[in-house]
Amino acid sequence: MKKARQITQGLFLLIFLFLFIQTESKGNDTLGYPVKLFLDFDPLILITTLLSAHTVARGFFLSVILIIITIILGRVFCGWACPLGTLNNMVGSIRRRNISIVPPSWHRIKYFVLIFLVFSSLFSLQMVGIVDPLSLIIRSFSISIYPLLNLMVRAFFDTVYETDLPGVVTVSETVYSGLKSTFLSFSQPHFRQAVFIGSIFMLILGLNLVEKRFWCRYICPLGALLGVLSRASILKRSVSEGCTECGSCASVCPSKAYPDVIGGWKDSECYYCYNCDDICPENAVSFGFRAEKITAGMDLGRRRVVVSAIAGVATVPLIRSTPALKIGASDPILLRPPGSLEEPKFLERCVKCGECMKVCITNGLQPTFLEAGLEGLWSPILVPLLGYCEYRCTLCGQVCPTGAIEPLTVDKKTRVVIGLAMLDKGRCLPWAHATPCIVCEEVCPTPKKAIWLENKTVEARDGKKIEVKQPHVDLKLCIGCGICENKCPVRGKPAIYVTNIGETRSEENRLLL
Amino acid sequence: MNRRRFLKLAALTGAGITLPCGLGRLITPVGASEGTDLAVVVGQDPAAMTRSAIDALGGISKFISRNDIVVVKPNMAWDRTPELAANSNPEVVATVVKMCIEAGAAKVKVFDRTVNDPRRCYVQSGIGPAVSKLGADLKHVDERKFRDMTINGRAMKKWPLYTEVIEADKVINVPIAKHHGLAQLTMAMKNWMGVMGGSRRRIHQNLDQSLVDLSMFLRPTLTVLDAVRILINNGPQGGALSDVRLTNTVIAGVDQVAVDSYGASLFGMKGRDLGYVRIAADSGMGVMDLSGLNIKKITL
Repeated sequence: MKKARQITQGLFLLIFLFLFIQTESKGNDTLGYPVKLFLDFDPLILITTLLSAHTVARGFFLSVILIIITIILGRVFCGWACPLGTLNNMVGSIRRRNISIVPPSWHRIKYFVLIFLVFSSLFSLQMVGIVDPLSLIIRSFSISIYPLLNLMVRAFFDTVYETDLPGVVTVSETVYSGLKSTFLSFSQPHFRQAVFIGSIFMLILGLNLVEKRFWCRYICPLGALLGVLSRASILKRSVSEGCTECGSCASVCPSKAYPDVIGGWKDSECYYCYNCDDICPENAVSFGFRAEKITAGMDLGRRRVVVSAIAGVATVPLIRSTPALKIGASDPILLRPPGSLEEPKFLERCVKCGECMKVCITNGLQPTFLEAGLEGLWSPILVPLLGYCEYRCTLCGQVCPTGAIEPLTVDKKTRVVIGLAMLDKGRCLPWAHATPCIVCEEVCPTPKKAIWLENKTVEARDGKKIEVKQPHVDLKLCIGCGICENKCPVRGKPAIYVTNIGETRSEENRLLL
Repeated sequence: MNRRRFLKLAALTGAGITLPCGLGRLITPVGASEGTDLAVVVGQDPAAMTRSAIDALGGISKFISRNDIVVVKPNMAWDRTPELAANSNPEVVATVVKMCIEAGAAKVKVFDRTVNDPRRCYVQSGIGPAVSKLGADLKHVDERKFRDMTINGRAMKKWPLYTEVIEADKVINVPIAKHHGLAQLTMAMKNWMGVMGGSRRRIHQNLDQSLVDLSMFLRPTLTVLDAVRILINNGPQGGALSDVRLTNTVIAGVDQVAVDSYGASLFGMKGRDLGYVRIAADSGMGVMDLSGLNIKKITL
């Protein structure tokens, strides 16, 4: 069974990576692959989103399939399919011996995390994305791991290219262009907090060296949810009387499910990997649908459950009590992707998976730090200086699994206002420095340009009359895409910039009558 | 054949073989095209118009030799579909590519340093799909291939330019005629901004002179100006059909200044109304005054 399991795990990991790499534009209006498929199968997001937003994106009903599978077969997802589980498996295999060093009670932690998340979402706070394994792995890959790999590969081939060695460069460039058309991204992605988010991911992988599958055993809330569901599973493990209590099974159990303790096997912990069945020298272990289920209880403790629930509830006002509430305005630089729901509804749904940031064609969508409060940590923010919102691109809405960013048609998208541009006349060349420039007007994408030019004759220091065209923003036409800010020749602190005032999604954040 | 005759013939053939290829270009126009300076073709089918315009100048083989590495430089800087006239007409570009391949070009490279996302520009302009089907070498611009070039112009002294344009045997410029906020019109000469590296947005501070400096440096073998649809307002990217006029014209010529000067007439302007055309003519780069040119007008 081990071979079969490893092949299945590898297959799911490959599908995951393939869909991840396909989360990138090829120039068409759509991607052509269901890139958010893994998230659609995540019942943890389904349940918490139903609780927080009382509605859920249609795709998540696929996760009912996983619920049904778990009820029949137990927590097989963790052992056979989860891409993060598989990576943990791979890193864990570096560690030769499978010994547990943390107290047995630690397995409860993940259930407390689950209870915390469920109760906070019940009171409209959606924090699941921070620890949901699928959101976490996609985010970590998008923001950190994949850009890092890209940078390494690109730096290598660029160095070879610079050597200009005949023959060598021909070969390396052929390999490079092959990689570019398959594995590498179109251009090098750069993300804020890449080190921070990447370090957390590396820490999670590194914990496998403390104990195999540390994350899966003790922290993963999706594992906890599936564990609860697998309490009802029909597939059961049974041990015949031939068992000599040799303990071989415990040495290969990835989940610390106590397969060696007669009557002490924990079905909620078991990944149904069949390792114990494979190794048993007496062939005493078997999995089947018929036998009576003999399993130990979950042993969470009522008080601890209550405390977790209260903590979840208490976090809601705690995290939301910010000065922003007082002035009724968000951080002005918080530009949300086009199609984003109004802020409270957006936060009820967004799981910070980073799909929108991965797919963003200009690399302008970045993870927030505190711009949207702690509650919005790692949700998407458009940073025009790094990348503007491409006028006819609708990809972020297409890949958003939760509907926090609604999918829009091109026509509709071009009319969504995400903010408004305003001029810094003290920095603008034609306004302040008697120097011609029209770049913001040239790149402004609305059919009737939101930036218009006024012919002016200005006097330079030497008294020379100079004809310039001074830009103005027509607030009725501007959609806040930020291309003007991005392409402004006054780099670093552009002479034209976008803030979120006037955004379509908000009733309050309006400017014009 | 006696010995003397043989030696004479051998010497002549030898001389003929060793003649630099450049001379060939001086000889051919005389017979083939009677010195047509500009070909202006009006019609309904952009592909046929393009072919007819190049034929009127003496045919593609006058410009492209066997095994040439050719660069065809369209304007595909914007994420706009063909009917909006922000990018060169894909049929015009594809026909130029096709003719180069027919003339025996070893490779026809097509690229542009775009303003919007390059992937979308290549696909949405229709040029990418149209030319890759023909076997053109369609690649995205590789930032490593820009090298500082000494231009020594009046405004532009040095700028990183795309080496593939410099290294090509022949370069054909295939711009589109459209409105521009600062230059008034963008056609052939302004299309060279698409091979500039670095922070090219700065050249707007002295745009007309910079364009002349650049165009002097990058003299193309041939210019084919797409004026099938022209953009008369809100250029250079437009976005509304109401700003597009159907002029059903393709203009071909070797002199970029003459091409731009003629192009201006489609907008009810004169070459001298455009700063860069005026400066270019004054610096002797080309002819702005259309009255002195041999213009062949064809209606298909």
